[in-house]
Amino acid sequence: MLEYRHVSVSCRRTPILKDVSLSFPTGKITTLIGPNGCGKTTLLQCLNGMSTVTSGKILLDGVDYLKLSPRERAQRLSFLPQVRTLIPSLPVKTLVEHGRFPYLGFSRKKTKSDADLVQAAMDFTNVNRYALQPVDTLSGGTRQRVFFAMTLAQDCNIIVLDEPTTYLDLESQRNFLDMLKELRRQGKTIILTLHDLNHAFRISDHIAVMKGSEILHFETPDQCLKSDIIEKVFHVKWKRFEDQDGAYYFFE
Amino acid sequence: MVQCTNTKSRRNVILFLCLLLLFSSFAGILFGSVSLSPAEVIRTLLAGDIHSTAGILIRTVRIPRVLGGLFAGIGLACAGVILQGVMNNSLASPNTIGVNSGSGFAVMFAMMLFPANASVVPFFAFGGAFLTSLFVFLLAYLGDSSRTTIILAGITISSFFNAGMNAIKLIDSEISINLTSFMVGSLSGLTLTSLLLPCCCILAAFFLSLLLARSLNILGLGDDIAGSLGMRVPLTRLMLLLLASIMAGCVVSYAGLLSFIGLIVPHICRQLFGNDARFLLPCSALLGGSFVLLCDLAGRVLFAPFELPAGILMAFIGGPFFLYLLLKKKGGRRIHA
Repeated sequence: MLEYRHVSVSCRRTPILKDVSLSFPTGKITTLIGPNGCGKTTLLQCLNGMSTVTSGKILLDGVDYLKLSPRERAQRLSFLPQVRTLIPSLPVKTLVEHGRFPYLGFSRKKTKSDADLVQAAMDFTNVNRYALQPVDTLSGGTRQRVFFAMTLAQDCNIIVLDEPTTYLDLESQRNFLDMLKELRRQGKTIILTLHDLNHAFRISDHIAVMKGSEILHFETPDQCLKSDIIEKVFHVKWKRFEDQDGAYYFFE
Repeated sequence: MVQCTNTKSRRNVILFLCLLLLFSSFAGILFGSVSLSPAEVIRTLLAGDIHSTAGILIRTVRIPRVLGGLFAGIGLACAGVILQGVMNNSLASPNTIGVNSGSGFAVMFAMMLFPANASVVPFFAFGGAFLTSLFVFLLAYLGDSSRTTIILAGITISSFFNAGMNAIKLIDSEISINLTSFMVGSLSGLTLTSLLLPCCCILAAFFLSLLLARSLNILGLGDDIAGSLGMRVPLTRLMLLLLASIMAGCVVSYAGLLSFIGLIVPHICRQLFGNDARFLLPCSALLGGSFVLLCDLAGRVLFAPFELPAGILMAFIGGPFFLYLLLKKKGGRRIHA
């Protein structure tokens, strides 16, 4: 289990994250929601070293996560950052193979199991047929799947995704969320941020609502809707519809 | 853009580059103000005949010159690949961002301080290169400057150090250096003993950089991804800058400010191989070596008995090529765009 204990982050004395305590349950999907600039990305970036924790602790299965070496962290937790501005002109397969970087020894030699995991990640995200194509020639949706494949090739039990569906069309978004559900079925812990509240409520086991550098609420989607936290934070009204595929949420 | 991504055509291109390098090295020994016949050269090299005229010429003039050119090409081309990767800027190279000038200034400075002690020169050259590249990098990183700003800053740094070099020459007219050929880069007057230290350093740095090639690739994905993949980003950057500085500095210490190799050669290799540093580094080394050797050869042969420094020919070829890159709008863009 990944656990934040009284984590604060400040940048030039401006607090960006204030005393966040939160546990992410194992094998579940937890989504962070909140208005722009509320600290969602910062909260996640404590995990890949792009934000420096000023006080507090992060525990992973009882071990102090921040004391692990970057390599050890990357073997336990994979992280896909927000929308990419740097699109490499590398072949898809080469990029996905970068996901094995945390495991490579000094000789940097790939083993059979590395190759298998890369292949599995490419099959799972359905990018196999682009294997030799440079990433910068692909459409936005495919690119995102390729980067996701790289993240999966890291073969970690915890997968962190920062706004993975931004800029994707509706079908790609749905496919992406289906992949997340499948990963949960395989027992992975998934932590992500989303702006689409309907999606957040449909796929998550737990929702963390953030505002003004703090976690306001951490509950299951149903509990979250029953309290009036959504109205307060997002200034919207919501409605719930249901059919055989589950519930749909509308926010206006 | 034609890229050979499959292994077979890649192997062919690498083979071709190796042959090109062998050919240009041999041609470098063969031709010059006095041309030797191939049979003569092979006989002298194999028999170890060092007392004939040809033997002395080969041993004291031609071989040092070829070795010097070879390592100058390897050093500058690889330094170019690394700097372009670390700064993620397709216009970066030892000479466009001022690393060469910084190193050259340090060389002149060392010669002024220790006129009798030539062995300190490579260390000063490396120090100058490293401090300059660190400075430019911090400028790029902290200032979040645009890609072209870095090049402009590089030009400023270059002219600053060039002024410094001229000043040293004026202050200390005794200094044993031909400023004109040093500023443009030249391979004349090299000896095996003076080459030993710089060439060993370049070779060592080259092999170390091959070990870091994959890290260089990952750095190109952006700091956040590199960090997520468990890389110590600042440390890796620093090590790569260190290696690039060793290579560029060592070249400057004996060949002066050879321009444009560090820019052109990586570009050509990128066209051939894409951005994978694991191929880019060795191929740039091969092509860089050949390019310097051929330029030097042309300078010796075209206007014989006069000799044009290699650097002049390089600038004649490199200048238009740089303009071509700018006009193609490739310039100023990220290498991964």
